[in-house]
Amino acid sequence: MEIPYNVQVREDTGVYNSKLGIWLFLASEVMLFGGLFSAYILLRTGAPVWPPIGEHGSIMHLLKETIPHATFNTVVLIASSVTMVMAWVSLKTKDLGKFRIYLGTTLICALVFLIVKYFEYSHKIHEGFVPSHDTYMALYFTLTGLHGLHIIGGMIVLGYFFGPGIKMWDNEPERFTNRIEIVGLYWHFVDLVWIFLFPILYLLN
Amino acid sequence: MSAKDMAHHIANYRKIFVYLLIGTALTVTASYMEFNVQNSIAGAVFVGLTIAAIKGYLVAANFMHLNSEKKIIHWILLLTVFFLGLLLFIPLLWDLNLMSHY
Repeated sequence: MEIPYNVQVREDTGVYNSKLGIWLFLASEVMLFGGLFSAYILLRTGAPVWPPIGEHGSIMHLLKETIPHATFNTVVLIASSVTMVMAWVSLKTKDLGKFRIYLGTTLICALVFLIVKYFEYSHKIHEGFVPSHDTYMALYFTLTGLHGLHIIGGMIVLGYFFGPGIKMWDNEPERFTNRIEIVGLYWHFVDLVWIFLFPILYLLN
Repeated sequence: MSAKDMAHHIANYRKIFVYLLIGTALTVTASYMEFNVQNSIAGAVFVGLTIAAIKGYLVAANFMHLNSEKKIIHWILLLTVFFLGLLLFIPLLWDLNLMSHY
């Protein structure tokens, strides 16, 4: 049985079904991260010193060291959003070669982001700043960890469309273009979350 | 979509990319500045989050095409933003409740 409205627009909603689906999913994602942001506000406003001082002292000196890495990661993620939207534009102009280049660049950006994050995590854990050290570290690892999982999830989907999923282009190019638009919306959301995480976790302490 | 439309889109994406880079540079710069608000970092937090909100708007409006999206999507997001606001306001209610006890 054929799935209806994956290319055609529904008359009642004005959009094709998967677009409505991804926006509803993103709305639930907003509430997921929103709950954690709310916890951040509650813990921060209730703390006499921020970031709190724990067994290994304050994280402030390490945070200042990691600002250049986090800034670099912000630029990488913004660049990946641009390459993602350009991948969609390439399909709209029916240029599969460019699509592969842009989607491949998006995947490389995501990988670079995770590698930088790995070194950042390793450094902090090596210095004893683990999630149980203080409430700031617990929030830091929860928020960046959840965001990192979203990056990994996005990479799996993008990898599928870069590899076996691209076959759809031969028979159903419009449906494939819509799929890329949908995964693009998710990817931009992941970028958007980082835009807020970057100042609250690294800069405004 | 015509080739002219596409060229316009691509030019716009490039422009937004530059704006986002400028926004990132401003956020980092602002975090090192003294805003002199009662010896607190409230000024820096306000400036930092304002820039982040502008950057977020640029991503949502342009890369996620919200500026040309259908009404139903706008309504879903409006409802989400309302509940998000409520969720972020809860910690403030907690604070107000504590203050009323002193």
